[in-house]
Amino acid sequence: MTPKDSLPPAAPSPKPPPLPWARLGLAALGALLVLFVVGPLLRLLLLATPASLGEALGDAELRTSIGLTLGTATAATLLAAAMGIPLAYLLARGSFRGRRLVEALVDLPVVIPHPVAGIALLLFLGRHSLVGGTLARVGLEFVSHVPGIVAAMLFVSAPILVSGAREAFRSVDPRLERVARSLGDTPAAAFRRVTLPLASRGILAAAILSWARSVSEFGAIVILTYNPQVASVLIYDRFTTLGLPAAVPAALVLLAVALAVFGLVRVLQPADHR
Amino acid sequence: MIRLRGLTVRVGGFTLEDISFEVPSGGYGLVIGPSGSGKTTLLEAVAGHVRPLRGRVELHDADVTTLPPERRGVGFVYQRYYLFPHLDVRENIRYGLAAGPLDPAAQADRVRELASLLDITPLLDRSIHQLSGGETQRVALARALAPRPAVLLLDEPFAAVDPATRQMLRRELRTIHAREKVTTLQVTHDFDEALRLGDVVAVLAEGRVAQMGRPDEVFRYPNSAFVATFIGTGTVLQGEVTRLAGGSTESPFAARFDSGPFSLEVVAEREGMAHAVLRPEDLMLSREAVPGSARNRLTAVVQRVERVGPISYVHLDAGRPLTAAVTSASADELGLAPGANVVVTVKATAIHLV
Repeated sequence: MTPKDSLPPAAPSPKPPPLPWARLGLAALGALLVLFVVGPLLRLLLLATPASLGEALGDAELRTSIGLTLGTATAATLLAAAMGIPLAYLLARGSFRGRRLVEALVDLPVVIPHPVAGIALLLFLGRHSLVGGTLARVGLEFVSHVPGIVAAMLFVSAPILVSGAREAFRSVDPRLERVARSLGDTPAAAFRRVTLPLASRGILAAAILSWARSVSEFGAIVILTYNPQVASVLIYDRFTTLGLPAAVPAALVLLAVALAVFGLVRVLQPADHR
Repeated sequence: MIRLRGLTVRVGGFTLEDISFEVPSGGYGLVIGPSGSGKTTLLEAVAGHVRPLRGRVELHDADVTTLPPERRGVGFVYQRYYLFPHLDVRENIRYGLAAGPLDPAAQADRVRELASLLDITPLLDRSIHQLSGGETQRVALARALAPRPAVLLLDEPFAAVDPATRQMLRRELRTIHAREKVTTLQVTHDFDEALRLGDVVAVLAEGRVAQMGRPDEVFRYPNSAFVATFIGTGTVLQGEVTRLAGGSTESPFAARFDSGPFSLEVVAEREGMAHAVLRPEDLMLSREAVPGSARNRLTAVVQRVERVGPISYVHLDAGRPLTAAVTSASADELGLAPGANVVVTVKATAIHLV
């Protein structure tokens, strides 16, 4: 007989339901918040008439801007993935000295206000700085150039990719890798045949969230590279120079991109994480 | 052959100290010990997943202590099996063949051979999420056996299945072991399993080997109160051995063992404090004293009768709790029910002193 068999059946833990009036109050508070989130977005979506969409699609400047945004966000995500996925694996599996410190440093950008990140990047990558000056001499200019957009996006979005990929790797039991090793796999083969396929959904979801973060970035980009304008800067620019109606079509297009990404991530995430 | 020489491993909170143990080629070895005694860690050290601090691991006369797991030729089945969730049953079994010398047709043959051996042919195209506990275990076993490992390591392989499946799997494992001729080392917390399966058993206690030998020997002659209690050999009494006046001066000698209300005749090898092991099957029960002189006689009251098929365990109060095993038929015949008065007799030679 195993010890399990001899355990007494677990006693049911009675949990009294909250009082009706208390439940009602809680529900009302929750509903207020949900309305506050949904209301403004619905208000904006109501402006999505055929006319306004036609105007948006016919706007060459907006089309260029959207293209620039999607392209730079993709570049930032690929860079974050190339450097961040190996780091995420090390953070998930490794027991090296300073692991916690590295983890904290990677997460740091999350708490830094985005204009502050922009200022810091400007000081670091500007023409008169050591790093920026050196890179400018080999033809890589950041400030007021496309690489500046990518740099700002990378700074704010990499933590999302790294922490998401790290959790995806952590969810793969190391004993699965051990079984693979005992079945003849080298560490690299076990990673390729077991760990990566099992973590891939989580990594992909993290990459998409990180990409979406890049698409929505404004504060750091506007300081580093105002022109050429990504979509968020364009919306801001039109709002301040031409007023609200001019900003709406661009805002609608960006909202559509965001909603599509949101739906994709929900589909990718396993049910128990939803 | 699996030979551990002075193996010392420290992982997390576990320490295994100076483990030496040998399973002969083609043999079936068991390591038993309570939960948390480091049994899984021991297997992981044999498989090469954890590095020992000291000592050596030898598999079939080759020292593999510094070899990585993939070069040890070890099949490993964890307690929770760890089938690859992104692969179906067939792909799981074939996993270890991909890196091997077989061409795809031969790989498919080997998968079919194992599937038929383990009776899982109809499951081959299933997702592993559709398998029952027993089926999962068979697939894990097939996967581990597929590359024809020199050594098979099993971590509590029957812990996660129901008792009926467990019995069937045990029988099959014995057959498979004979057929595949793979030297096997299994860890378990269940001594019953050792008696049924093992050629050689080691009992782990606090990270050390407390006793090893043939399972029936360990069962008959536990070398410590811990081993006797852990393997459920019977009632363990602590007391004092005194040589009987006029008894032999040589060893072994006739003696008296005093423990609380008991004063038993025993055959001892030394005097002083000792533990006496009273095995359930050596306690004979009757309603009235049976004639005979050289027997220890105790009166007891039946507390509870536990029926396990043809055998009944009778839990007694003889001033101390005792457990006797009788056939269920004689339990009925004697009218053993809670509250019944019985006489317990035990031969002096049947009391094992440790």
